Amino acid sequence: MPIAESEVTWVQETKLGLWEQLYIPALIDGLKTTLGHMVSRKVTEQYPEQEPKMPLNYRGVHRLNRDAAGRVKCVACYMCATACPAHCIDIVAAPAPAEWQKDGREKYPETFVIDELRCIYCGMCEEACPVDAIELTTLYDLTGFSREQMVFDKEKLLSVFDTTTKAGTDPVRTQAGPLGAASEVPPEVK
Amino acid sequence: MPTFDLTITAIVIVGLIGGILGVCGYLTLGERKISAWMQDRVGPNRVGPGGLLQPLADGGKFFLKEEVIPDHVDRIFYLLAPAVAVGTALMALAVVPFGATIPPPEPVPITTPDAVATFEVQQKAYSESFNFVLAPGLDIGVLYIFALGSLAVYGVILAGWSANNKYSLLGSLRSSAQIVSYEIPLGMSVLGVFILVGSLNPEKIIAWQATAGGTPDPVLGSVTAWLRGIGLAIGDNWWIVLFQPLAMLLFLASSYAESSRLPFDLPEAEQELVGGYHTEYSSLKLGLMLLTEYIHLVASSFMVAVLFLGGWSLFGLESISSNAIVAAVLKLLILCGKMVGLCVFAQLVRWTIPRFRFDQLMNLAWKVMIPLALLNLLAVIFVKQFGWSLIVLTGVNLLLFVGAGVLGARTRGSITNPKRAVKKMPPGLPAGVTYAGR
Amino acid sequence: MPTVYVNDKPVEIGTKRLNCVQVAELAGVFVPHYCWHEALSVVASCRMCLVEVGDLKDGKVTMQSKVLPGCQTPVKDGTVIVTGEYDKRDKSLPVLPYDPGYTKIAPLGDRAKKSQADTLEGLLINHPLDCPVCDKAGECKLQDFSYKYGRSESRMVDVKNTPPNKPQLSSKITLFTDRCIMCTRCVRFTREISGTAELYVSGRGHHEEIDVFPGRPLENKLAGNVVDLCPVGALGSKDFLYKQRVWYLKTVDGVCNRCSTGCSTYVDANKDIVYRIRGRHNPQAQGHFICDEGRYGYHHANSGERFVRPMLKTEGKFKPAVWSSLLPQLKQEFGDAVKTNARGTVAVLSPFLTVEEAFLLGAYFKSLSNDVRLVMGPVPVIGENDTYPKNTRGESVEPVQFTIRGEKAPNRIGVEAVLNQLQGEVIAFTSIAKESLFAMWFSGGYPDKSHLDALVPTDWKTPALLVAQDLLPTIITASAQYILPATTGFEKDGTFVNHANYMQTFGRAARPPQEARTELQLAFDLLGRKGLVQPDAIRKELAKAVPFFGALAPETRIALETAQV
Repeated sequence: MPIAESEVTWVQETKLGLWEQLYIPALIDGLKTTLGHMVSRKVTEQYPEQEPKMPLNYRGVHRLNRDAAGRVKCVACYMCATACPAHCIDIVAAPAPAEWQKDGREKYPETFVIDELRCIYCGMCEEACPVDAIELTTLYDLTGFSREQMVFDKEKLLSVFDTTTKAGTDPVRTQAGPLGAASEVPPEVK
Repeated sequence: MPTFDLTITAIVIVGLIGGILGVCGYLTLGERKISAWMQDRVGPNRVGPGGLLQPLADGGKFFLKEEVIPDHVDRIFYLLAPAVAVGTALMALAVVPFGATIPPPEPVPITTPDAVATFEVQQKAYSESFNFVLAPGLDIGVLYIFALGSLAVYGVILAGWSANNKYSLLGSLRSSAQIVSYEIPLGMSVLGVFILVGSLNPEKIIAWQATAGGTPDPVLGSVTAWLRGIGLAIGDNWWIVLFQPLAMLLFLASSYAESSRLPFDLPEAEQELVGGYHTEYSSLKLGLMLLTEYIHLVASSFMVAVLFLGGWSLFGLESISSNAIVAAVLKLLILCGKMVGLCVFAQLVRWTIPRFRFDQLMNLAWKVMIPLALLNLLAVIFVKQFGWSLIVLTGVNLLLFVGAGVLGARTRGSITNPKRAVKKMPPGLPAGVTYAGR
Repeated sequence: MPTVYVNDKPVEIGTKRLNCVQVAELAGVFVPHYCWHEALSVVASCRMCLVEVGDLKDGKVTMQSKVLPGCQTPVKDGTVIVTGEYDKRDKSLPVLPYDPGYTKIAPLGDRAKKSQADTLEGLLINHPLDCPVCDKAGECKLQDFSYKYGRSESRMVDVKNTPPNKPQLSSKITLFTDRCIMCTRCVRFTREISGTAELYVSGRGHHEEIDVFPGRPLENKLAGNVVDLCPVGALGSKDFLYKQRVWYLKTVDGVCNRCSTGCSTYVDANKDIVYRIRGRHNPQAQGHFICDEGRYGYHHANSGERFVRPMLKTEGKFKPAVWSSLLPQLKQEFGDAVKTNARGTVAVLSPFLTVEEAFLLGAYFKSLSNDVRLVMGPVPVIGENDTYPKNTRGESVEPVQFTIRGEKAPNRIGVEAVLNQLQGEVIAFTSIAKESLFAMWFSGGYPDKSHLDALVPTDWKTPALLVAQDLLPTIITASAQYILPATTGFEKDGTFVNHANYMQTFGRAARPPQEARTELQLAFDLLGRKGLVQPDAIRKELAKAVPFFGALAPETRIALETAQV
């Protein structure tokens, strides 16, 4: 399809004056800039010795959050698995244990597996989660010796939660409540 | 002329090549450091203190890398090309003075009675002196350098042609066009120097600059006398750059083009040609190809220092000690210092100016530099013919430079960058830009 | 001809007795509803089907001043219906002469639309927002209608009513009481279709709940239908609970293979595993509903006991075999057997085969020798036909709404028709079971192995060569030389003929285990045919060869389908 005429911007080259035509002043101008940068503060981070501080919205390794009672917050709704463009999340749901059901927890993930190698770290799972159970942390240095090591199960994902919250690098960011029978808190009457 | 001694010559060759390769190695480090600092980075700093051993690591890597010779290459020329490139570059260094030199004595007119005796004394003194140059007393010295500089294009052409790769071929074709074009301003800009000095011998050119105050030039003579009067002796140094600044600018620009450095690195423009003529090279062959450029840079920096910046002279500093050895070391340091300074300047320029477009490159050579060099040459001829003061040349040079600028500004667009008129095509045809007829 | 106008579109209703929802459907307009169901009585309790109704008389439309529940409002000649989607009507039709006084107060359709939105807000007042954990999410009418007709926000500020769940409702069904919208479809089903009346509504107003009487759980053979009937996620099948999200399931039109009623079903499968069977409305087969035997009768397909690869008995033990060497071997064995003793060679065609499979297999054995006998496989009959509705004492009452047949095989009639065509008679399995036979090909596919085991006589003599093809280990497979894996009714494409000679073609919902071959493929390979098995092509061949199946010829099928439309 040809580009529409309305989208074409016609640009004339700017007319150069004597100063620009002489070229040497422009060169000196450029040298001033580059020499100025030569002595300015450097931005390099010496990686292994000096660890970068990741912004909180960095999308690194996943974690499964715990609720107030320390149980996995996930309700096994499969929203993350459905949203995942890489199909890296595998969940097996089951009815929640009897004592959980007292708090209105009806369903929980029996297994929850993320293939961190297949994941593209898009954060769609976090977007999709209705109970804010899955979050992407700022852990960026994910390594392993085998493919199996990079497949994270529920315990591993929960341990990521424990370590990141203990280290304080990733506070729990979002606070949607647990789903349950009529669990919504009525909005404040204004 | 000093007697030829195989041992001493061999030692000097080894020392020179070793020294040059070392300098080239550290130039790569300097290049990387300078570019890093200019880009607010730190640069290589892991090998040795402050990254000082990085060149060794790089060299070691070039040695240890897998040597790949693609199936489709023309093996003979493919293998020959790096050798030709490095060989010609190194051979050019043979006549480059890198320290104290003494020019061969002038012929003695036999009209004087003790002409023969004087001649023999001078010859004896000359043959006993030591020159920091591989082939001293070569009267066609600078011509020799130009000759070998032109041969350097063979390395590039062979590499590009034998690689049997479109990118390589394009790179080498660009390179040949570029090098052949810039040979002309390169040579023409220094013709003025030769006319001024009256010799092609680098040693003599240095000597002229170190003692130009002795020339019968009334203006210069009175300036020297005035300087002496206010207690500022400049050791009779009148560097040619004072009289030929335009020539030096042209020579510097042409020498960057000759050694394919930015802003003239079109033969290997990575963004357009992958690697240009050395795309298909790997391991040490690639190393040699890259090394060649640095040798060219070193050689041309020496040339600029010798031709325009007074060689080993530095306003009397070179002669503060009467001890021969101290003076020799001092002169060596001064000349090498100038060379290193020029190399660093080249690197600063490289990381400052963007690359030319190919048509701009050609326009610059043929439409700007060659005419300017020709006019400059004409000016030198006039000055020499009518015996005017050399200061006139300085003025003429500046006038030419500014005049070229004015001409460029007054003409439609610039000569090096012809203004392109935007022409709207009739609807239905793809939008495009065409060159307007001028 | 009586004519009804739906959003200005005239619909001729003939002599049919219809309500507004049905007429709107004829006109191509969908009126949302929860409580109304074609097979159940009308209660008009959900109020979702509110429409504006009027009368066209003497060239003038008189609209009633308030909206009416469409399900409860019968139509007659000249009835004018305006639904909430009046603004999406076919604008090319002439607008009826509506009373300007009526349209001045509110534009046409606005009353219905606003009433539906208000109804939905009311239904959602106590409905919990637990869609993420609700199995119905994705096929929930409450979700769909809220999205399409409802308000986006709730104005509810009080704490929601959260009655406790009732998993004790039934062994197969659980009730999430808080999700219920009191449409009472399930209550009416147990009263009108199954007749057992286990469910009732307890409490009044805000405290209404579905419940069972103490000590009388919801246990009848049709109980599973209440899960299908429930428009929200209140009634859940324990069998399917939390197994899959419904949007992962691929639905295929199937035919139930557990009795000779041949109910039309939906088979829901994901990644070749069947997770759920639901009833499909087919008035010619069974109507709206299916029984629990069929509903939960898919577990044999996922059973760990299943044969998944061909096996060969060597030195008294079964060893896995590969098809590439097995097929020529089988052909060789039967070729030799027929040469030695054609009369002693039989092929047993089970009533679980599709007619296409029976036809190809029979054709293969008849092609070996005309003396080879084709035998009708054992047909399991368990008890009498079980009819519904029943009364509370468990006795059947007239008129019959649903029958679970005692004959627990889907295709006896179809296979018999094939046998009649190929050899002119049907030989029963019992008549040859006691003979000492030379060679036998036994095709099984019995989903319940106890059914087959009960039908094999205790003194049955194992033939010298026995090839058994079945799903699960039985007496027959135990004494066979070759065991070939069979495929379930969900893993093949074919046709069953039910007790009333009604032919139903169904599609494949799941692929068979990797190393299993469908019976059709096997017969195709035995016949030495080349190319891909195309059930449709074989069906066409069958329709040509057997007059009984003439209706399966493609042109006839198209005629039938268009006639139904």
